[in-house]
Amino acid sequence: MKVLIVDDSAVMRKVLMDALKKSDITNVGEARDGEEAVRAVIEDSYDLVLMDWNMPKMSGIEAVLKIRGRGISVPIIIISTESEKARVLEALKAGANNYIVKPFTPEIIAAKIRETIKSIANK
Amino acid sequence: MDKKTDSMKAEYINPFIESVRELFSTMLNSNAERGDVDVYWEVPPSSDIVALIGLSGPMRGTVALSFPVGTALSLVGRMLGVDVRVVDDTVRDGIAEVVNIVAGSAKGKLRKGMGAPIDLSLPTVVRGTDYQVGYPSRTAWLEVPFKSDLGAFSLRVTFEIPDDTGGA
Repeated sequence: MKVLIVDDSAVMRKVLMDALKKSDITNVGEARDGEEAVRAVIEDSYDLVLMDWNMPKMSGIEAVLKIRGRGISVPIIIISTESEKARVLEALKAGANNYIVKPFTPEIIAAKIRETIKSIANK
Repeated sequence: MDKKTDSMKAEYINPFIESVRELFSTMLNSNAERGDVDVYWEVPPSSDIVALIGLSGPMRGTVALSFPVGTALSLVGRMLGVDVRVVDDTVRDGIAEVVNIVAGSAKGKLRKGMGAPIDLSLPTVVRGTDYQVGYPSRTAWLEVPFKSDLGAFSLRVTFEIPDDTGGA
């Protein structure tokens, strides 16, 4: 499985990379904002995107809208500090497949990835 | 502050305390043990690394996490799983992310009963007390000291809640 990690924080990208390693996912790409994420999924093929919400230049939600607008159906999980229902619904409405709230554990990341892949396979 | 104000302030600072503890237990495998809340009209001088985030909307103010250098290095080292020895952009980035998670998480807990959502600014990281918070000037900083296996640190919050939200 090839995963794109999108976060403006280098520390958070490393934390996510370490969490993925615990699920034996080592084929990982990185993007620092929404713009880089959109370019990355156009230029390369990914099986999943882990996308931070709040980023400079282009937010995670804007990136999801752009990616879906181009007809790219890669599964996207939004990561945010905010757990409010309205925020989760906004992400799903934009085209995200799932939502992870910070702070998280590697186990939560693994479970959400499994849940997302399973729900797409069942569609 | 009188007792009523104390109790009201506690109601608003508790979500931040809970969020600090959740972050430490979830992402840092650490237990952050809080001390008693103190009140300052001026932040005492120190050489700490301080991460600040602004709140606007129904609750206006600033949230700050103040880390002595040793704590900041241990904390970011724990996040990255490596030994971190100097304060550099990586350390500032990690500390900024910590205050971002604490404020974002507390925002959800505070939302109940506040009506409109609280907006958060982007985090800023500074060293020492070489910073000024121009608003709100007539309110105090509430400080909660914490102890953890990563070292001591402090949570500081200053805010004003306009009357129409049922606050001060």
